[in-house]
Amino acid sequence: MELSEYVQKGFQMLADPGSFDSNAFTLLLRAAFQSLLDAQADEAVLDHPDLKHIDPVVLKHCHTAAATYILEAGKHRADKSTLSTYLEDCKFDKERIELFCTEYQNNKNSLEILLGSIGRSLPHITDVSWRLEYQIKTNQLHKMYRPAYLVTLNVENADSRTYPEISFSCNMEQLQDLVGKLKDASKSLERATQL
Amino acid sequence: MLLDLSEEHKEHLAFLPQVDSAVVAEFGRIAVEFLRRGSNPKVYEGAARKLNVSSDTVQHGVEGLTYLLTESSKLMISELDFQDSVFVLGFSEELNKLLLQLYLDNRKEIRTILSELAPDLPSYHSLEWRLDVQLASRSLRQQIKPAVTIKLHLNHNGGHNTNILQTDPATLLHLVQQLEQALEEMKTNHCRRVVRNIK
Repeated sequence: MELSEYVQKGFQMLADPGSFDSNAFTLLLRAAFQSLLDAQADEAVLDHPDLKHIDPVVLKHCHTAAATYILEAGKHRADKSTLSTYLEDCKFDKERIELFCTEYQNNKNSLEILLGSIGRSLPHITDVSWRLEYQIKTNQLHKMYRPAYLVTLNVENADSRTYPEISFSCNMEQLQDLVGKLKDASKSLERATQL
Repeated sequence: MLLDLSEEHKEHLAFLPQVDSAVVAEFGRIAVEFLRRGSNPKVYEGAARKLNVSSDTVQHGVEGLTYLLTESSKLMISELDFQDSVFVLGFSEELNKLLLQLYLDNRKEIRTILSELAPDLPSYHSLEWRLDVQLASRSLRQQIKPAVTIKLHLNHNGGHNTNILQTDPATLLHLVQQLEQALEEMKTNHCRRVVRNIK
Protein backbone atom coordinates (compact mmCIF):
# COMPACT_ATOMS: atom_id res chain seq x y z
CA MET A 1 0.00 0.00 0.00
CA GLU A 2 1.37 3.35 -0.98
CA LEU A 3 0.64 5.96 1.63
CA SER A 4 1.82 9.55 1.53
CA GLU A 5 3.48 11.61 4.21
CA TYR A 6 0.30 13.61 4.48
CA VAL A 7 -1.60 10.50 5.57
CA GLN A 8 1.12 9.50 8.00
CA LYS A 9 1.20 12.97 9.58
CA GLY A 10 -2.57 12.95 9.89
CA PHE A 11 -2.47 9.62 11.70
CA GLN A 12 0.32 10.75 13.99
CA MET A 13 -1.86 13.65 15.08
CA LEU A 14 -4.77 11.29 15.52
CA ALA A 15 -2.62 9.05 17.72
CA ASP A 16 -1.86 11.90 20.14
CA PRO A 17 -4.21 11.89 23.16
CA GLY A 18 -3.33 15.54 23.65
CA SER A 19 -4.93 16.51 20.31
CA PHE A 20 -7.68 13.89 20.28
CA ASP A 21 -9.10 12.45 23.48
CA SER A 22 -10.77 9.02 23.37
CA ASN A 23 -14.18 10.43 22.55
CA ALA A 24 -12.94 12.73 19.78
CA PHE A 25 -10.89 9.89 18.30
CA THR A 26 -13.90 7.61 18.08
CA LEU A 27 -16.06 10.39 16.64
CA LEU A 28 -13.53 11.25 13.96
CA LEU A 29 -13.07 7.61 13.04
CA ARG A 30 -16.82 7.11 12.68
CA ALA A 31 -17.05 10.33 10.68
CA ALA A 32 -14.42 9.04 8.25
CA PHE A 33 -16.31 5.80 7.63
CA GLN A 34 -19.58 7.69 7.38
CA SER A 35 -18.22 10.09 4.75
CA LEU A 36 -17.18 7.17 2.61
CA LEU A 37 -20.10 4.82 3.05
CA ASP A 38 -23.15 6.96 3.68
CA ALA A 39 -24.55 8.31 0.45
CA GLN A 40 -26.23 11.19 2.26
CA ALA A 41 -23.14 12.27 4.20
CA ASP A 42 -21.77 15.75 3.68
CA GLU A 43 -19.36 18.21 5.34
CA ALA A 44 -21.65 18.34 8.36
CA VAL A 45 -20.28 14.95 9.39
CA LEU A 46 -17.55 16.76 11.33
CA ASP A 47 -20.00 19.12 13.02
CA HIS A 48 -20.17 17.35 16.34
CA PRO A 49 -20.08 19.45 19.54
CA ASP A 50 -17.36 17.20 21.01
CA LEU A 51 -15.10 18.02 18.06
CA LYS A 52 -15.57 21.79 18.18
CA HIS A 53 -12.55 22.40 20.39
CA ILE A 54 -10.15 21.02 17.82
CA ASP A 55 -8.54 23.25 15.20
CA PRO A 56 -10.63 22.82 11.99
CA VAL A 57 -7.48 22.47 9.86
CA VAL A 58 -6.23 19.62 12.02
CA LEU A 59 -9.70 18.08 11.98
CA LYS A 60 -9.86 18.12 8.20
CA HIS A 61 -6.34 16.78 7.84
CA CYS A 62 -7.01 13.82 10.12
CA HIS A 63 -10.38 13.12 8.57
CA THR A 64 -8.87 13.07 5.09
CA ALA A 65 -5.93 10.94 6.23
CA ALA A 66 -8.24 8.40 7.84
CA ALA A 67 -10.52 8.25 4.80
CA THR A 68 -7.57 7.82 2.45
CA TYR A 69 -6.11 5.05 4.54
CA ILE A 70 -9.45 3.28 4.84
CA LEU A 71 -9.84 3.28 1.05
CA GLU A 72 -6.34 1.98 0.45
CA ALA A 73 -6.81 -0.73 3.06
CA GLY A 74 -10.12 -1.73 1.52
CA LYS A 75 -8.67 -1.74 -1.98
CA HIS A 76 -5.86 -4.09 -0.99
CA ARG A 77 -8.00 -6.18 1.35
CA ALA A 78 -5.71 -5.46 4.26
CA ASP A 79 -5.92 -7.87 7.19
CA LYS A 80 -5.74 -7.02 10.88
CA SER A 81 -2.00 -7.51 11.12
CA THR A 82 -1.32 -5.13 8.22
CA LEU A 83 -3.55 -2.51 9.82
CA SER A 84 -1.94 -2.99 13.25
CA THR A 85 1.57 -2.69 11.86
CA TYR A 86 0.87 0.59 10.12
CA LEU A 87 -0.99 2.07 13.07
CA GLU A 88 1.83 1.04 15.44
CA ASP A 89 4.27 2.86 13.15
CA CYS A 90 2.08 5.93 13.51
CA LYS A 91 2.36 5.66 17.27
CA PHE A 92 -1.21 4.52 17.97
CA ASP A 93 -1.63 2.96 21.43
CA LYS A 94 -3.13 -0.54 21.74
CA GLU A 95 -6.58 0.75 22.65
CA ARG A 96 -6.81 2.96 19.58
CA ILE A 97 -5.53 0.19 17.33
CA GLU A 98 -8.27 -2.11 18.67
CA LEU A 99 -10.88 0.58 18.13
CA PHE A 100 -9.74 1.20 14.57
CA CYS A 101 -9.68 -2.50 13.69
CA THR A 102 -13.11 -3.10 15.18
CA GLU A 103 -14.59 -0.14 13.33
CA TYR A 104 -12.88 -1.33 10.13
CA GLN A 105 -14.21 -4.86 10.56
CA ASN A 106 -17.75 -3.56 11.07
CA ASN A 107 -17.62 -1.58 7.86
CA LYS A 108 -15.51 -3.93 5.74
CA ASN A 109 -18.37 -5.43 3.75
CA SER A 110 -19.95 -2.12 2.82
CA LEU A 111 -16.53 -0.77 1.92
CA GLU A 112 -15.78 -3.68 -0.40
CA ILE A 113 -19.17 -3.44 -2.05
CA LEU A 114 -18.61 0.25 -2.65
CA LEU A 115 -15.14 -0.25 -4.12
CA GLY A 116 -16.31 -3.17 -6.22
CA SER A 117 -19.04 -1.10 -7.79
CA ILE A 118 -16.65 1.55 -9.08
CA GLY A 119 -15.39 1.01 -12.58
CA ARG A 120 -16.30 0.59 -16.21
CA SER A 121 -18.47 -2.28 -17.24
CA LEU A 122 -20.56 -3.39 -20.16
CA PRO A 123 -24.26 -2.56 -20.24
CA HIS A 124 -25.81 -4.88 -17.70
CA ILE A 125 -29.04 -6.80 -18.27
CA THR A 126 -31.34 -6.42 -15.30
CA ASP A 127 -34.63 -7.88 -16.46
CA VAL A 128 -36.59 -9.24 -19.39
CA SER A 129 -40.20 -8.85 -20.49
CA TRP A 130 -41.94 -10.69 -23.25
CA ARG A 131 -45.12 -10.56 -25.26
CA LEU A 132 -46.72 -13.36 -27.23
CA GLU A 133 -48.85 -12.39 -30.23
CA TYR A 134 -50.67 -14.19 -32.97
CA GLN A 135 -50.13 -12.51 -36.32
CA ILE A 136 -53.20 -12.54 -38.55
CA LYS A 137 -52.51 -10.17 -41.42
CA THR A 138 -50.68 -7.10 -42.61
CA ASN A 139 -51.70 -4.83 -45.45
CA GLN A 140 -49.20 -6.70 -47.62
CA LEU A 141 -49.91 -10.22 -46.54
CA HIS A 142 -53.14 -11.85 -45.46
CA LYS A 143 -53.78 -15.14 -43.66
CA MET A 144 -50.48 -15.16 -41.82
CA TYR A 145 -51.66 -17.12 -38.74
CA ARG A 146 -48.42 -17.43 -36.94
CA PRO A 147 -47.33 -16.78 -33.35
CA ALA A 148 -44.53 -14.32 -32.66
CA TYR A 149 -42.74 -13.11 -29.57
CA LEU A 150 -41.60 -9.61 -28.71
CA VAL A 151 -38.80 -9.66 -26.15
CA THR A 152 -37.48 -6.61 -24.31
CA LEU A 153 -34.26 -6.67 -22.32
CA ASN A 154 -33.95 -4.05 -19.60
CA VAL A 155 -30.39 -2.83 -19.54
CA GLU A 156 -28.49 -0.61 -17.13
CA ASN A 157 -25.45 1.48 -18.03
CA ALA A 158 -23.56 1.90 -14.77
CA ASP A 159 -21.46 4.87 -15.78
CA SER A 160 -23.97 6.94 -17.65
CA ARG A 161 -26.89 5.87 -15.44
CA THR A 162 -28.98 5.41 -18.55
CA TYR A 163 -31.46 2.59 -18.92
CA PRO A 164 -31.79 1.77 -22.58
CA GLU A 165 -34.00 -1.10 -23.65
CA ILE A 166 -33.24 -3.63 -26.31
CA SER A 167 -36.34 -5.00 -28.04
CA PHE A 168 -36.54 -7.60 -30.73
CA SER A 169 -39.05 -9.95 -32.26
CA CYS A 170 -38.60 -13.65 -32.77
CA ASN A 171 -40.57 -16.73 -33.71
CA MET A 172 -40.81 -19.87 -31.64
CA GLU A 173 -37.73 -21.57 -33.07
CA GLN A 174 -35.64 -18.47 -32.51
CA LEU A 175 -36.82 -18.11 -28.93
CA GLN A 176 -36.03 -21.78 -28.34
CA ASP A 177 -32.56 -21.15 -29.73
CA LEU A 178 -32.11 -18.15 -27.45
CA VAL A 179 -33.32 -20.00 -24.36
CA GLY A 180 -31.20 -23.03 -25.26
CA LYS A 181 -28.07 -20.93 -25.46
CA LEU A 182 -28.78 -19.15 -22.18
CA LYS A 183 -29.35 -22.51 -20.53
CA ASP A 184 -25.98 -23.72 -21.85
CA ALA A 185 -24.39 -20.66 -20.30
CA SER A 186 -26.02 -21.26 -16.93
CA LYS A 187 -25.07 -24.97 -16.95
CA SER A 188 -21.49 -23.94 -17.70
CA LEU A 189 -21.65 -21.55 -14.80
CA GLU A 190 -22.87 -24.32 -12.50
CA ARG A 191 -20.08 -26.61 -13.60
CA ALA A 192 -17.48 -23.90 -13.14
CA THR A 193 -18.60 -23.22 -9.59
CA GLN A 194 -18.15 -26.89 -8.73
CA LEU A 195 -14.54 -27.01 -9.82
CA MET B 1 -62.50 -15.57 -52.76
CA LEU B 2 -62.07 -14.34 -56.30
CA LEU B 3 -59.49 -11.87 -57.51
CA ASP B 4 -60.89 -8.60 -58.69
CA LEU B 5 -59.04 -7.68 -61.86
CA SER B 6 -59.32 -4.13 -63.15
CA GLU B 7 -59.89 -3.36 -66.84
CA GLU B 8 -56.40 -1.98 -67.17
CA HIS B 9 -54.98 -5.11 -65.61
CA LYS B 10 -56.97 -7.32 -67.97
CA GLU B 11 -55.68 -5.27 -70.92
CA HIS B 12 -52.09 -5.81 -69.84
CA LEU B 13 -52.62 -9.51 -69.41
CA ALA B 14 -54.24 -9.73 -72.86
CA PHE B 15 -50.72 -9.78 -74.29
CA LEU B 16 -50.03 -13.21 -72.82
CA PRO B 17 -52.13 -15.36 -75.20
CA GLN B 18 -50.40 -13.69 -78.13
CA VAL B 19 -47.12 -15.37 -77.38
CA ASP B 20 -46.42 -19.03 -76.91
CA SER B 21 -46.26 -20.80 -73.53
CA ALA B 22 -42.47 -20.86 -73.41
CA VAL B 23 -42.51 -17.05 -73.48
CA VAL B 24 -45.19 -16.87 -70.79
CA ALA B 25 -43.14 -19.20 -68.63
CA GLU B 26 -40.13 -16.95 -69.20
CA PHE B 27 -42.19 -13.89 -68.23
CA GLY B 28 -43.18 -15.72 -65.08
CA ARG B 29 -39.54 -16.35 -64.26
CA ILE B 30 -38.68 -12.70 -64.89
CA ALA B 31 -41.60 -11.57 -62.70
CA VAL B 32 -40.41 -13.59 -59.71
CA GLU B 33 -36.81 -12.52 -60.27
CA PHE B 34 -37.94 -8.89 -60.25
CA LEU B 35 -39.75 -9.53 -56.97
CA ARG B 36 -36.57 -10.93 -55.51
CA ARG B 37 -34.09 -8.38 -56.80
CA GLY B 38 -35.95 -5.39 -58.20
CA SER B 39 -36.88 -4.71 -61.80
CA ASN B 40 -34.42 -4.28 -64.67
CA PRO B 41 -35.88 -2.34 -67.63
CA LYS B 42 -33.18 -3.58 -70.03
CA VAL B 43 -34.75 -7.02 -69.91
CA TYR B 44 -37.94 -5.58 -71.35
CA GLU B 45 -36.09 -4.07 -74.31
CA GLY B 46 -34.35 -7.31 -75.17
CA ALA B 47 -37.59 -9.27 -75.05
CA ALA B 48 -39.47 -6.58 -77.02
CA ARG B 49 -36.94 -6.78 -79.84
CA LYS B 50 -37.14 -10.56 -80.01
CA LEU B 51 -40.96 -10.59 -80.01
CA ASN B 52 -41.26 -7.63 -82.34
CA VAL B 53 -43.48 -5.56 -80.05
CA SER B 54 -42.97 -2.33 -78.09
CA SER B 55 -41.09 -2.64 -74.79
CA ASP B 56 -44.10 -1.05 -73.09
CA THR B 57 -46.23 -4.01 -74.09
CA VAL B 58 -43.69 -6.42 -72.67
CA GLN B 59 -43.42 -4.37 -69.48
CA HIS B 60 -47.18 -4.33 -69.02
CA GLY B 61 -47.38 -8.03 -69.64
CA VAL B 62 -44.73 -8.84 -67.04
CA GLU B 63 -46.15 -6.34 -64.54
CA GLY B 64 -49.64 -7.69 -65.04
CA LEU B 65 -48.37 -11.18 -64.40
CA THR B 66 -46.45 -9.99 -61.32
CA TYR B 67 -49.52 -8.33 -59.87
CA LEU B 68 -51.61 -11.42 -60.55
CA LEU B 69 -49.09 -13.57 -58.69
CA THR B 70 -48.58 -11.20 -55.75
CA GLU B 71 -52.28 -10.56 -55.18
CA SER B 72 -53.05 -14.26 -55.30
CA SER B 73 -50.17 -15.04 -52.94
CA LYS B 74 -51.09 -12.23 -50.55
CA LEU B 75 -54.65 -13.46 -50.22
CA MET B 76 -53.55 -17.08 -50.31
CA ILE B 77 -56.46 -17.94 -52.60
CA SER B 78 -57.25 -21.57 -53.28
CA GLU B 79 -56.49 -23.35 -56.57
CA LEU B 80 -60.16 -23.30 -57.47
CA ASP B 81 -60.53 -19.60 -56.79
CA PHE B 82 -57.41 -18.86 -58.82
CA GLN B 83 -58.72 -20.85 -61.76
CA ASP B 84 -62.12 -19.11 -61.58
CA SER B 85 -60.46 -15.68 -61.36
CA VAL B 86 -58.32 -16.33 -64.41
CA PHE B 87 -61.22 -17.90 -66.32
CA VAL B 88 -62.78 -14.45 -66.89
CA LEU B 89 -59.76 -13.50 -68.98
CA GLY B 90 -60.85 -15.99 -71.64
CA PHE B 91 -57.46 -17.62 -72.04
CA SER B 92 -56.83 -21.07 -73.47
CA GLU B 93 -56.93 -24.18 -71.25
CA GLU B 94 -53.17 -24.54 -71.67
CA LEU B 95 -52.42 -20.96 -70.64
CA ASN B 96 -54.71 -21.24 -67.61
CA LYS B 97 -52.90 -24.36 -66.47
CA LEU B 98 -49.54 -22.65 -66.93
CA LEU B 99 -50.64 -19.64 -64.88
CA LEU B 100 -51.95 -21.89 -62.09
CA GLN B 101 -48.65 -23.76 -62.00
CA LEU B 102 -46.73 -20.50 -61.84
CA TYR B 103 -48.87 -19.45 -58.87
CA LEU B 104 -48.49 -22.70 -56.95
CA ASP B 105 -44.76 -22.99 -57.62
CA ASN B 106 -43.92 -19.48 -56.46
CA ARG B 107 -46.54 -18.75 -53.84
CA LYS B 108 -44.41 -19.63 -50.81
CA GLU B 109 -41.46 -17.54 -51.89
CA ILE B 110 -43.62 -14.57 -52.85
CA ARG B 111 -45.29 -14.67 -49.43
CA THR B 112 -41.87 -14.64 -47.78
CA ILE B 113 -40.90 -11.58 -49.80
CA LEU B 114 -44.19 -9.85 -48.94
CA SER B 115 -43.71 -10.55 -45.23
CA GLU B 116 -40.52 -8.49 -45.37
CA LEU B 117 -42.58 -5.40 -46.23
CA ALA B 118 -44.33 -5.34 -42.85
CA PRO B 119 -43.45 -2.77 -40.14
CA ASP B 120 -40.22 -4.13 -38.90
CA LEU B 121 -38.77 -4.53 -35.45
CA PRO B 122 -35.25 -5.79 -34.98
CA SER B 123 -35.46 -9.55 -35.07
CA TYR B 124 -33.36 -12.17 -33.34
CA HIS B 125 -30.53 -13.63 -35.34
CA SER B 126 -28.28 -15.42 -32.88
CA LEU B 127 -26.52 -15.19 -29.55
CA GLU B 128 -23.00 -15.93 -28.36
CA TRP B 129 -21.99 -16.09 -24.72
CA ARG B 130 -18.86 -16.20 -22.63
CA LEU B 131 -18.24 -16.83 -18.96
CA ASP B 132 -15.96 -14.31 -17.25
CA VAL B 133 -14.67 -13.90 -13.75
CA GLN B 134 -13.46 -10.49 -12.68
CA LEU B 135 -10.37 -10.89 -10.52
CA ALA B 136 -9.44 -7.30 -9.77
CA SER B 137 -10.06 -3.73 -10.74
CA ARG B 138 -8.32 -0.45 -10.13
CA SER B 139 -10.47 0.14 -7.07
CA LEU B 140 -10.60 -3.37 -5.57
CA ARG B 141 -8.16 -6.27 -5.66
CA GLN B 142 -8.68 -9.98 -5.03
CA GLN B 143 -12.19 -10.24 -6.41
CA ILE B 144 -14.10 -13.24 -7.63
CA LYS B 145 -16.96 -11.73 -9.59
CA PRO B 146 -18.55 -14.06 -12.13
CA ALA B 147 -20.32 -12.56 -15.10
CA VAL B 148 -21.80 -13.77 -18.35
CA THR B 149 -20.89 -11.71 -21.41
CA ILE B 150 -23.41 -11.95 -24.23
CA LYS B 151 -23.17 -10.93 -27.88
CA LEU B 152 -26.68 -10.56 -29.24
CA HIS B 153 -27.01 -10.48 -33.03
CA LEU B 154 -30.11 -8.81 -34.41
CA ASN B 155 -31.34 -8.15 -37.94
CA HIS B 156 -33.00 -4.87 -38.76
CA ASN B 157 -34.02 -3.43 -42.10
CA GLY B 158 -31.65 -5.69 -43.89
CA GLY B 159 -28.76 -4.67 -41.66
CA HIS B 160 -27.08 -6.49 -38.84
CA ASN B 161 -26.85 -5.12 -35.28
CA THR B 162 -24.63 -6.44 -32.57
CA ASN B 163 -25.20 -5.73 -28.88
CA ILE B 164 -22.59 -6.64 -26.32
CA LEU B 165 -24.14 -7.04 -22.89
CA GLN B 166 -23.32 -8.54 -19.55
CA THR B 167 -25.28 -10.11 -16.76
CA ASP B 168 -24.70 -11.79 -13.42
CA PRO B 169 -25.49 -15.44 -12.64
CA ALA B 170 -28.67 -14.68 -10.69
CA THR B 171 -30.13 -12.57 -13.48
CA LEU B 172 -29.16 -15.21 -16.03
CA LEU B 173 -31.22 -17.82 -14.18
CA HIS B 174 -34.08 -15.34 -13.97
CA LEU B 175 -33.90 -14.69 -17.74
CA VAL B 176 -33.98 -18.40 -18.51
CA GLN B 177 -36.94 -18.93 -16.19
CA GLN B 178 -38.94 -16.03 -17.65
CA LEU B 179 -38.31 -16.98 -21.27
CA GLU B 180 -39.12 -20.64 -20.62
CA GLN B 181 -42.45 -19.47 -19.27
CA ALA B 182 -42.95 -17.53 -22.49
CA LEU B 183 -42.36 -20.68 -24.54
CA GLU B 184 -44.70 -22.69 -22.31
CA GLU B 185 -47.45 -20.19 -22.95
CA MET B 186 -47.93 -21.43 -26.52
CA LYS B 187 -48.86 -24.83 -25.15
CA THR B 188 -51.66 -23.60 -22.91
CA ASN B 189 -55.30 -24.33 -23.70
CA HIS B 190 -56.04 -20.70 -24.31
CA CYS B 191 -53.40 -20.30 -27.02
CA ARG B 192 -54.22 -23.65 -28.56
CA ARG B 193 -57.88 -22.65 -28.83
CA VAL B 194 -57.02 -19.35 -30.49
CA VAL B 195 -54.70 -21.00 -33.01
CA ARG B 196 -57.31 -23.67 -33.78
CA ASN B 197 -60.16 -21.26 -34.29
CA ILE B 198 -58.64 -18.33 -36.12
CA LYS B 199 -57.98 -19.59 -39.62
